[in-house]
Amino acid sequence: MASLQQPAAPANERSYWGNVWQAVKSTAVGLGITFRYLWSKPFTVQYPDEKLPTDDRYRGIHYLEQDLCIYCQACAKACPVDCISMDAKRHGKELEWNFFRVDYQKCMFCELCVYPCPKDCIHMGREYALVAEDRSEFVLELTTWQGLTEAQKVRVAEAEAKKAAKKAAKKAAAAAKEDKEGEEK
Amino acid sequence: MSALLPFAAAGNGLTDWLAGLFPAGVPFWILGLLGAVIAFALIMVFVSVLAMFSTWLERKVAGHIQVRYGPMRVGGWHGWAQAIADGVKLLIKEDIVLADADRALFKIAPCLVLGAALAAFVALPFGPNAIVADLDLGVFFILAVSSVTTLGVIMAGWGSNNKWSLYGAMREAAQVASYEIPLGLSLMMPVMYYGSLSLHRAGEMQADWFGLHWYVFSDSFWLAIPSFILFFTAALAETKRSPFDLPESESELVAGFHTEYSGIRFSFFFMEEYAAMYLMSAVGTAFWFGAWNFPGLELLAGSALYAPLAVTVFVVKSMILVFVMMWVRWTVPRIRIDQVMTMGYKYLTPLCLILVFLASVWEWAKAALTGA
Repeated sequence: MASLQQPAAPANERSYWGNVWQAVKSTAVGLGITFRYLWSKPFTVQYPDEKLPTDDRYRGIHYLEQDLCIYCQACAKACPVDCISMDAKRHGKELEWNFFRVDYQKCMFCELCVYPCPKDCIHMGREYALVAEDRSEFVLELTTWQGLTEAQKVRVAEAEAKKAAKKAAKKAAAAAKEDKEGEEK
Repeated sequence: MSALLPFAAAGNGLTDWLAGLFPAGVPFWILGLLGAVIAFALIMVFVSVLAMFSTWLERKVAGHIQVRYGPMRVGGWHGWAQAIADGVKLLIKEDIVLADADRALFKIAPCLVLGAALAAFVALPFGPNAIVADLDLGVFFILAVSSVTTLGVIMAGWGSNNKWSLYGAMREAAQVASYEIPLGLSLMMPVMYYGSLSLHRAGEMQADWFGLHWYVFSDSFWLAIPSFILFFTAALAETKRSPFDLPESESELVAGFHTEYSGIRFSFFFMEEYAAMYLMSAVGTAFWFGAWNFPGLELLAGSALYAPLAVTVFVVKSMILVFVMMWVRWTVPRIRIDQVMTMGYKYLTPLCLILVFLASVWEWAKAALTGA
């Protein structure tokens, strides 16, 4: 059995003094290399203070363009783990946002919520660090404002005023018509 | 009588100061006891600060050799307070003694290990008049006392009732027993050169040539350099430092002999490691690199700055050798136990014997030619 035989001695076996020389020399060379590395600039970054940039296509914590969102729930329906929940009230065309939450205990950063969005308003962001002392802190609010903004209030008021004016005009027209009909009678 | 007191060497002011505090009739043993307490306190404080600084330095050296930073956060500047934080953590940790451990051995072991390392500091000459006891047997005393550490390690390994600990302890016993020989032999070269075992005497003899008459620069330099390399290698094995850290080789034996230790007892082993490193470096400094002598230091002799500066020079020189030990640790991988034994018995010991022979001929020839 060949495998049980003693392995042949290597042809270039060193002598006693060769071993001594090799030990001293290789240690000295190694020390030289590590000494060079000792003074080189560290390759690592000081993480919480400095962060390495993430890729453009990195799938981190979501980013929502709230002014574009139309509250269609497409992302919430697409989510395989049901981690997106949202609530808003409609004022005609304007949305009064209550919340748009993502539960990052469930979220698996699959990006499936991004594709169905008709307005292309939900994106995967670059932020990846989630540290919390309580589970509830992993449920993040993606809206930047709740309720109506000043601009929205103005627009809602305008729309309502327009509606009211239209109604009034209609009423006036109806009244005028009635008057006319009355006169005709 | 007062020559027998601690600090009595080389006209040390501390002894006179101590004796002056008491009336003339005070028994000798009271002064001796007091001196011993002061000596112990000084050594204990020195070793604690040294261990804290060395752990920080070791982590920084390890980090930068591996092209990273090491500790950076605790305390602000480059994590300087990391060692203090670690020390406090070790102090407040639970002190666990295993149910199946040999309680007496388990508890005595760390104290014995650290105590032996501390005792050896007694004979170290920190300066021309900063030595606790200028023993005639100086370096022999240091070798003898510091090898008691091995006994503590074996007690720890056996007392832990853990096979990994026992493996570590057995390796320590085998390794230290075999490296004691080259360590002692490699110290023979400077001892023959100085004609004395006293480290303090070695320091005094290296003061010529404007403070540069070190053994490595003397006419015996061709013996000094190889003997220092042999001494340093054997010292690495004695202090269980990589590449000879087989007693605690963490990849195979968990942590070797101190696997089962926690809290303050673990920190004793840790302090012992750094104390032993410093001790070996200090012996190397005193015998090969001129002890406290440094060019220009002699000019200050007599001024108040001289003693503190001499101590600083000695400590800095020793710390440079401690740095070299760390540098070697992060360069050379750990070797196998059979390679350790081969290196000790087949290489270091014969080479030391050859050097001892050459040195004895050389020193005899020098003495014969100069008619000394």
